[in-house]
Amino acid sequence: MKRPFTGFPPRLRRLIPAFILVGLLALFLSGCDTDTPQNTFDTKGEVAKKQADIFFLAMWPAIAVMILVLGGLVVIMLRFRETDPQHIPPQVHGNTRLELAWTIAPAILLLAIGIPMVATIYDLGREPSEDAFRVDVIAQRFSWEFQYPEYTDEDGTPLSVFDQEGFHIPAGREVAFYLESVDVIHSFWLPKLGGKLDIVPGQTRVLWLRADEPGSFSGQCAEFCGLNHADMRMTVIAQPQAELDAWAAEMLQ
Amino acid sequence: MAQVATNDHMETSTGIDNKKLLMWLFLASDCLFFGSFIAAYLLYRGRSLVGPYPADLYDIPFTSVSAFVLLMSSVTMVLALAAVQRGNIRNLRIWLFATAILGTLFIAGQAYEFTEFYHEGLTLSTNLFGTTFFVLTGFHGAHVTLGVFILLSLFIVSLRGGIQQKDSHTIELAGLYWHFVDIVWIVIFTLVYLIQP
Amino acid sequence: MASIAAPKRSPLSEALKGVRHAASDYGSIWSWIATVDHKRIGVLYGVSAFIFFVVGGIEALLLRVQLSQPDANILDPDAFNRLFTMHGTTMVFLVIMPMSSAFFNLMVPLMIGARDVAFPRLNAFSYWTFLAGAIFLNASFFTGDILNGELGAPDGGWFGYAPLNLPEFTGGHGMDFWMLGLQMFGIASLAGGFNFIVTILNMRAPGMTLFRMPVFVWMTLVTSFLVIFAMPVIAVALFELTFDRLFEANFFSAEAGGNPLLWQHMFWLFGHPEVYILILPAFGIISEILPTFSRKPLFGYAFVVFSGVAIGFMSWGVWVHHMYTTGLGTVANSAFGVTTILIAVPTGVKIFNWMGTLWGGSIRFRAPLMFAVGTVAMFTIGGLSGVMHSMVPSDFQQQDSYFVVAHFHYVLFGGAIFALFGGIYYWFPKFTGKLMNEPLGHLNFWLMLLGFNLTFFPMHVSGLLGMPRRIYTYNGEMGWDLWNLMSSVGAFFIAASVLVFLVNFFYSLRRGKESGPDPWDARTLEWSIPSPPPEYNFKEIPTVNSRDHFWSTKYHEDETGHVVPILAGGAVETAEPEPEPAEDDAHGHGIHLPSPSYMPLIASIGFPVVATGLIYDYALVPVGFALILIGFFGWAMEPATEEE
Repeated sequence: MKRPFTGFPPRLRRLIPAFILVGLLALFLSGCDTDTPQNTFDTKGEVAKKQADIFFLAMWPAIAVMILVLGGLVVIMLRFRETDPQHIPPQVHGNTRLELAWTIAPAILLLAIGIPMVATIYDLGREPSEDAFRVDVIAQRFSWEFQYPEYTDEDGTPLSVFDQEGFHIPAGREVAFYLESVDVIHSFWLPKLGGKLDIVPGQTRVLWLRADEPGSFSGQCAEFCGLNHADMRMTVIAQPQAELDAWAAEMLQ
Repeated sequence: MAQVATNDHMETSTGIDNKKLLMWLFLASDCLFFGSFIAAYLLYRGRSLVGPYPADLYDIPFTSVSAFVLLMSSVTMVLALAAVQRGNIRNLRIWLFATAILGTLFIAGQAYEFTEFYHEGLTLSTNLFGTTFFVLTGFHGAHVTLGVFILLSLFIVSLRGGIQQKDSHTIELAGLYWHFVDIVWIVIFTLVYLIQP
Repeated sequence: MASIAAPKRSPLSEALKGVRHAASDYGSIWSWIATVDHKRIGVLYGVSAFIFFVVGGIEALLLRVQLSQPDANILDPDAFNRLFTMHGTTMVFLVIMPMSSAFFNLMVPLMIGARDVAFPRLNAFSYWTFLAGAIFLNASFFTGDILNGELGAPDGGWFGYAPLNLPEFTGGHGMDFWMLGLQMFGIASLAGGFNFIVTILNMRAPGMTLFRMPVFVWMTLVTSFLVIFAMPVIAVALFELTFDRLFEANFFSAEAGGNPLLWQHMFWLFGHPEVYILILPAFGIISEILPTFSRKPLFGYAFVVFSGVAIGFMSWGVWVHHMYTTGLGTVANSAFGVTTILIAVPTGVKIFNWMGTLWGGSIRFRAPLMFAVGTVAMFTIGGLSGVMHSMVPSDFQQQDSYFVVAHFHYVLFGGAIFALFGGIYYWFPKFTGKLMNEPLGHLNFWLMLLGFNLTFFPMHVSGLLGMPRRIYTYNGEMGWDLWNLMSSVGAFFIAASVLVFLVNFFYSLRRGKESGPDPWDARTLEWSIPSPPPEYNFKEIPTVNSRDHFWSTKYHEDETGHVVPILAGGAVETAEPEPEPAEDDAHGHGIHLPSPSYMPLIASIGFPVVATGLIYDYALVPVGFALILIGFFGWAMEPATEEE
C-alpha cells in the first residue's frame, strides 16, 4: 500500500494546531481587555462583578482542560502516527480503572465549581433591598420607557422618560427595575452593570443592579423581538442622588 | 406472545413481532403527545379571565355514560381478538362491528357535547379553558375516529374473507391501539372532568 | 398503522402491478422514486441534506456579509430576520438531522447484518415526507414580493418564541409555513425513529448481541429513542401554535391570561434532547472512524455506550438552561444549573475514551481520520464553553449574546458537521466502489478547520463584548467590528472548503481509484461485502462471534502475543470482484426483497397539500387528506414483497 498523502510538509503540519490554539487564545484574552461600551468584563457594579467572577471560575479550568485535550491530541497524533503499514498495534480494549478515573475526576471538578455557582445564584437572586431606588421599565417594540414612581407631578403621575430624553439612575445606590412588556418578550440588559433579565408580557419581573460610580452605560434588548430588534438600544446615566433629584425636578417642569 | 414468526417470514432478534414492537413504540410516543396537551390544560386550569368556566358547562352524568360506552368498546375489542384467535370469523365480524359502533357512539357524544358547549358560549377563542379543552379532547376524538376507521376497514376486509385465524396479529395491533385510546380517555376524564380545583 | 392482510388478488393490486413494473427497472428514475431500498433512501437523504446545506450556507454568507462591518446596508432588517430564521431552521432540520438519517439508512442494516430495515416502505415515507416539508418550507421565500427584494420566509427565529410567533407580530404567512413545515419534519423523523428502533432491536444477524453492536448503531438507537419521545412534544407545541395562528385560540396569548413561557418550556423540552439527536450520530461516526484508522478497537466500548445512554437520559433534565434569564427563580436555576454541569461528565468520558483509542495505535492520516480528530478537538472547545454556559450567574451575561452563537456552532458545526464530513469520506468507497481523492480531502479539511475557527472563535469575544444575537446591524463604537470582520472572512473560507469537497466528490465519483470491498482495513460488517453492496446486502446472513467480528476474521494473535493477519482464506465475502448475481441467484438464497412502491410518496405529497390548504384555501385540505388516505390504503393493500 502506498504511503498516504500528507497534504502539508510534516514539520509545518504538526505545528498548525498549536499555532491556531495559541493565536486564538491570545486574541481571546486581548479581546477581554478592551474598553468598549458593552464589555461584560469592564464591570461597574456589584452584580456584573460577581457574574464575571463566576465566569473566570469556569473559564480557567476550561482553558486548562482545552490545553490538556488539544495538546494531548497533538502529542498522540505525532507519537502514534503510522510508521510501518504492516504493523498492527496491540488490541487494547480499555482500562476500567483509568476510565473510572476520568469519569470521577471531572465530576468532582465540576461539582467543585458548582458550589460557588449555586451560592452566587442565591446571592444575586435575592429580592431588592428596602431602600432600593425603584424604576418601572416598560418595553415595547422597539423602544424603552422608564417611569420613576419616586418623582411625581402634582397629579401623582410618575415621571416618564423615553430614549431620546436619556435615562437616569442614582449612582452608588441599588436600583430595582420593575420590568414589563406591552407586546412580546424583550430582555433588559446593561452589560457593565449586570446580566440580563427577560421581560415576559403579562408578568412583572424585578431586576436589581447597582452602579458603583457615576457614568454612562450602554445597553440593549437581548431577546429577539421582531423587525428592528437591533435598534432597541438605550443609554443609562448614573449620577449622584442630588443631581438625579435636580434632573427629575427639571423634567417634571 | 403466541405468534412469533408472522408474515414477515423471519424470526426477530427479540422474539417480538416487528409490527407489534412498532405499535408499542408508537403508543409510547403518543403518551408524550397527550401528556403535553394534558399538561397545557392543567397549567391553564382556573386561569381563564372570562367565562364560561368548566363548572358552568360540564355534564358529568352525560360524559360518564359516554366514557362507559368507550370502556365497553374495549371489552368488545377483546372479544373480537379472542374470536379470531379461535378462528371464529363470524364472531370476529360481530365484535369488530360492535366496537366500531360503540366508538362511533362515543364520537357522537363528543360532537353533542361540543355543540352544547358552543351554544353556551364556549369557543376555541373564548378563554384559556375553551382553547385547552377543545384541543385536548378534540385530538382524543381524532384518535378515536381514526380507530373507528381502522376497525371498519378490518371489518370490510373480513367480510371479503381477508382475515383468517393466522392474521390474528393484525386484530391484536388494532386492539392495542384501541385500548390505548381508551386508557387515555380514562386519564382525561379523571383529570379534566372529575378533579376540579 | 395496522396493516391489513389483503385478499390475494384484488383488482386494485392487479392494476398497480403494471405501475410497479416500471419501478422495478433498476436504473430508471422511477426506480428511485418508488425505491424502498435502504441504501438508495440513504443516498436520497444524503444528497437532499447536502443541497440544503448549501442553501443554508448561502443564507449564512449573506448574514455574514451584512455583519462584516458596522451600519452596513446590504440586507434590510426584514430580510436579515427571515434569513437567520431560515438558516437556523435549515441547518437543524434540513441538514444535520437528515444527514444523520442518511447514515442511519446507509449503515445500520449493513452493520447489524440485515438485508433492509424493518419497514422499508415506512422508510421511503419518512424520506418523502421530509422532502415535502423541506420544499414546502423553502417555498415560503416566494410568497413575498421577491422581485422587489421582499422575501416571504418565516421571520420569528428558528425557536419561534411566543408571543412573537403570533400573527399580530409576525404577519404574512412565513411563520405558517414554518410551523406546518416543522410538523412534517416531525412526522418524517418519527417514522424514521420507529423504524430504526425496530430494525436495531429485531433485525440483528445471529450472534449480533446488543453489546456486540458497533457504537454507531448504539448511538442510532439512543438517537431514535430521543426522537420518538421529543418529537411529540414539539408536535404539540406546533399544533397549539397552529390553533393560535389559524383559529384564534389562546395558548400563547398573554391578553387571555396565557403564559408565553409555555412555548419555551415545550420548545426546549423538545429542544434539548434535539441537541443530542444532532450530536449523538456524530459521536457514533467518529467512534467507527477512530478505531479503524488507529487499527485498535474502541477504547472502553462499554463506557462509550453507557455514556451515550446516560446523555440520552440526562438530556431530558436540562432544558431550563435555555431559560435561565426568563425569571424562573433561584431554585429552578440552581437545580438545572447542577444537572447541566453534570451532563458534561458522560460527554467528557467519550472524549477521553476517543483519545485512549488513538493512544498506542498506528494512526493513518487519511481524510476521515482528520475530520474525526477535528471533531474531537472542536467539540471539546464547544463542550467547555457549554460548561461555562451552565454557570447560571455568568450565563446572565452570555445568554442571547454571540458567545452562545460561538458555543453551539462549535458543538453543531465543529462537532456534528465535521463528523458527518468524516463519515462521507469514510463510507464513500463503500457506496461507490471508488476512493475519494486524498489531497483534496486534506485541503478540504484544513480549509474547513481554518475557516471554521476564524468564523466562530471571534464570536466568543464579540459576545463577551456585549454583542447580542439576531441584530441586523451594530454601531461602530461598540468595538465589535474587527471580530465581525474576522467571522465574515472565515465564513468564505468555509464556503471554499465546501467547494473543494464538491469538486472532490464529483471528481472521485467519476475518476476515483477502485476501492475494493475493504479499503481501510476496517473492523465492522459493512466492509465484508462488495463495494457497492448488492441490492440484498448479504448473500448469506453472517453469524457474529464477537465485537469487531470482521476484524477477527482478518487478524489473530500469534503465540508471542503479536497481532498478525490470518493469511489463509479470504476474509471478505468476495476477494475478487464478483459478477453481479442474477435475480435467480438471489432467489436461490431465499432472498425476498421488498417491492418498490409509490404509495409512501403519494401519502407524503398529501401533507404539503393539507398545509397549503390550511394557509390559503380550506378546499385543499380534504384533497390532501384524501391523498394521505389513498397512500396508506394502497400501502396496506399491496403485497410487501415481490410475488413469485
